[in-house]
Amino acid sequence: MLSPDRLALPDYEYLAQRHVLTYMEDAVCQLLENKEDISQYGVARFFTEYFNSVCQGTHILFREFSFIQATPHNRASFLRAFWKCFRTVGKNGDLLTMREYHCLLQLLCPDFPLELTQKAARIVLMDDAMDCLMSFSDFLLAFQIQFYYSEFLESVAAIYQDLLAGKNPNTVIVPTSSSGQHRQRPPLGEASVLEGVEASLFSQCLENLCDRHKYSCPPPALVKEVLSNVQRLTFYGFLVALSKHHGINQALGALPDKGDLMHDPAMDEELERLVVRSRLHRTSWQHRAEEPRAFGFQRRDKLEARESVPSASAPSPCPYRWEPRE
Amino acid sequence: MIPGKYRSVSGRAANNVNCGLHLVIQTSSLPEKSKVEFKLNKETPSFSGRLLQHDLERNYSSRQGDHIHLASSSMPSFPILQRSSEEKILYSDRLTLERQKLTVCPIIDGEEHLRLLNFQHNFITRIQNISNLQRLIFLDLYDNQIEEISGLSTLRSLRVLLLGKNRIKQISNLENLKSLDVLDLHGNQITKIENVSHLCDLRVLNLARNLLSHVDNLNGLDSLTELNLRHNQITFVRDVDNLPCLQRLFLSFNNISTFESVCCLADSSSLSDITFDGNPIAQESWYKHTILQNMMQLRQLDMKRVTEEERRMASVVAKKEEEKKRESHKQSLLKEKKRLTINNVARKWDLQQHRIPNIAPNQDRKVSDSSQDPSQLHGSTVSAFPEETGSLDSGLTNDLQGLSVTDTHLVEVDGDTLSLYGSGALESLDRNWSVQTAGMVTTVSFTFIEFDEIVQVLPKLKIKFPNSLHLKFKETNLVMLQQFNALAQLRRVDQLTIDPQGNPVVNFTLWKYYVLFRLSHFSMQKINGTEVTQNDMIMAERLFGILAHVASSELPQYRMISILGDARKKQFRYLLETKGKKPGLVNEENNDSKRLVGENTNRAMLNYTTRDFYNERLEEIKEKKKFCKMYMEDLVKEATEINMKNEALQKLWPQMFIELVRDAVIEIRNKNSYMKLCLQQITDQN
Repeated sequence: MLSPDRLALPDYEYLAQRHVLTYMEDAVCQLLENKEDISQYGVARFFTEYFNSVCQGTHILFREFSFIQATPHNRASFLRAFWKCFRTVGKNGDLLTMREYHCLLQLLCPDFPLELTQKAARIVLMDDAMDCLMSFSDFLLAFQIQFYYSEFLESVAAIYQDLLAGKNPNTVIVPTSSSGQHRQRPPLGEASVLEGVEASLFSQCLENLCDRHKYSCPPPALVKEVLSNVQRLTFYGFLVALSKHHGINQALGALPDKGDLMHDPAMDEELERLVVRSRLHRTSWQHRAEEPRAFGFQRRDKLEARESVPSASAPSPCPYRWEPRE
Repeated sequence: MIPGKYRSVSGRAANNVNCGLHLVIQTSSLPEKSKVEFKLNKETPSFSGRLLQHDLERNYSSRQGDHIHLASSSMPSFPILQRSSEEKILYSDRLTLERQKLTVCPIIDGEEHLRLLNFQHNFITRIQNISNLQRLIFLDLYDNQIEEISGLSTLRSLRVLLLGKNRIKQISNLENLKSLDVLDLHGNQITKIENVSHLCDLRVLNLARNLLSHVDNLNGLDSLTELNLRHNQITFVRDVDNLPCLQRLFLSFNNISTFESVCCLADSSSLSDITFDGNPIAQESWYKHTILQNMMQLRQLDMKRVTEEERRMASVVAKKEEEKKRESHKQSLLKEKKRLTINNVARKWDLQQHRIPNIAPNQDRKVSDSSQDPSQLHGSTVSAFPEETGSLDSGLTNDLQGLSVTDTHLVEVDGDTLSLYGSGALESLDRNWSVQTAGMVTTVSFTFIEFDEIVQVLPKLKIKFPNSLHLKFKETNLVMLQQFNALAQLRRVDQLTIDPQGNPVVNFTLWKYYVLFRLSHFSMQKINGTEVTQNDMIMAERLFGILAHVASSELPQYRMISILGDARKKQFRYLLETKGKKPGLVNEENNDSKRLVGENTNRAMLNYTTRDFYNERLEEIKEKKKFCKMYMEDLVKEATEINMKNEALQKLWPQMFIELVRDAVIEIRNKNSYMKLCLQQITDQN
């Protein structure tokens, strides 16, 4: 806890690095919004719940995009939540279009912007035929990269364009904190007629970039690893390699390994219970039972629905009779 | 009938030769014939065999005592007929040459005062050699092989001309027969009525069994009383109203199928007897009363007397028909108006969706950049609505000129379906619907209305139309799965129909499953016409069950309450806005709140707020966020200050502590002087 480097940072910087202020602000804002409801059970409990949910990663559910994007932890939690909720879609083997994936994203975040999804789709489809169908795992991994490292990727894109155009970014003095780092660079070859850019040059530019972006960039070592395998590569080739590299996946920590992407035993169990329950529910409707049925297993959430066939209290000619819940 | 004066004076009964005219042609009896004919025997004539001319000559020459002498004439082909003077005196005005196997008309010598000439049942091909019989009144050429009417130009006194059962192809060369009274041309090959306009004395015209396809050119026949047109191919009749005396018209066995084709008959005041049997028109259900209604002057129809009863029935039926026509006219007018309105709404919708390029050219660029998807949608929806097929009669189009097509929405209740076109139609839900009408509505159809607008009126719908079980959406801009969440607030939905046109959400692979999942508490029967099976429901649960589970179990308590609270707040927003709060309404509120919880609550978390509301809410929160930020900054400032001070204190404290201790030790060094100092301090304090 009391590690020396932690104490070495000045106050604001420390807070900023851990995004403490973001969460505090958000907590207070939520408190203000839901004053009436929260006052019932106390502010302390509210804060407990809030930070518990932040730890668990459930705080981003159904929140607005600006909040989800605010911190890396939020982004990772969102990715995890998306994976958890829609893993079943992938397991089912359905191939969906970019728009449909966007729809699923919107179920969790109503104002998620389309551009991000489009960019993620471009990575999967290599910027070609945007209406193509994509598998869940492909999309998810590409989306992870795009969403988590969006600022980084923008800069990379800019660098790539520059390299393609033949400009040598190395001659430009880097005006950020890494001052005095004017290393000797090997002279740049002409802009080649071959596709993409030279991997090694690209790699060095990226290294530079990583130094600038202190956070929200993939571990430089891994980036180097990705680039060391090839001679030349295109922008989307690079991104695809990045998304498929399992080291980066692990470094992010949001999703399980690619091989395990469809596995989640805890949720599968829960799902089976739900399916059984829905089957019984449907059967009860079909037989139009008059007496209420209670189901064996209790669910953990407080607002539990008791399956019952209610009877009418309003004089309507509807054939189904509704009865107030007890 | 032959006019009386031309009948046989002797009044002898004779053969009645019926050639379809009810004409009784008095011919001389058999014994008489034998006298007149150029048969040698005075006994019964022989009809056997077909005798050629030279046979006749043989007959003549071999017999003795013949009264008729057939001599060869200058023209080798024509026989010359001569009668004995006795016969000439006895039957001076008539000559019967029936069944004489004649192939040509013989030259009749010395019979210039002949009035009746009978050539029936021969094989004559041309009318010849009778030009000298200028007193001829009655000429009978029935059943011959005549192909052309000719050789009659001198017979100015001719009154009766019988040319039935020949091979005549056209009516011609009758110019000089101005006294013609009866013209019989039945059983020929005549195709049109012509060259009869000068026959102003003609009373009977028989054109039965010909090849007539229509009837016209009847002007000039001012005396015509009977016109027989049976057994032709007539499809329409004209000019009959130009016949001032026509009483009987026989049109049996023709091809008349509508009354319009014989409508001129209605204008003929003289007609009293008409037949239509054997025509297609006689098979129609409206035949009798249409004829009777339009021809009040009729006394006999199809050879049966027309009774008063029939006439009355006819007028009653005709009146009913008129009513029906008026009603259907009104209906088609209404339908047309509806169609125009719908087209108008469709056009407005297309403009709204930027599908139709604007007229102004400089606006085109703006339109094409719009964020809707214009490139994917081909054409406008107006073309998708087919024109009402079927002819709009001229009366209808005239009325339509007066219709204004400024209607921008349409509300229609058709039995059990309520159809709403255009967003203006949503206001109609506020109307006072009669309980009966509202109770009967089981299907509600929305077209050309934004789904976000529909969402706002769903509470109204729930209350006003409690039995609506089937919802249909077409051209409503359903683009997100999330939008289906809004349907959960309804009481119950049995069937859902989302038309692919104008609803991109249908292109998604999973949309049906999502609907089944989110609206599972409705236990829907059908989606887009296909039955919902158990497997569908299970699949839906499998695909999205975890989403619901996460939404309900992993959300912190306060979030759940706030989300539920939002939903309830929105529902009550409408209820608070209603004009009159009836006691029934309060009950509804209670039921609603209970039902809200009664639904599968793990799904209740999944709500849909329209984009506008959402942005509104985010705007509202901005103020709070700003305040929070400032507040936190203040707190942070305070905290960091305290922290700084704390740190500073931590740094300085050792030094301070040492100094404190040193000061204290120095003070107490000298016990005596310290005691004195303390006492001094105490007394000073007093």
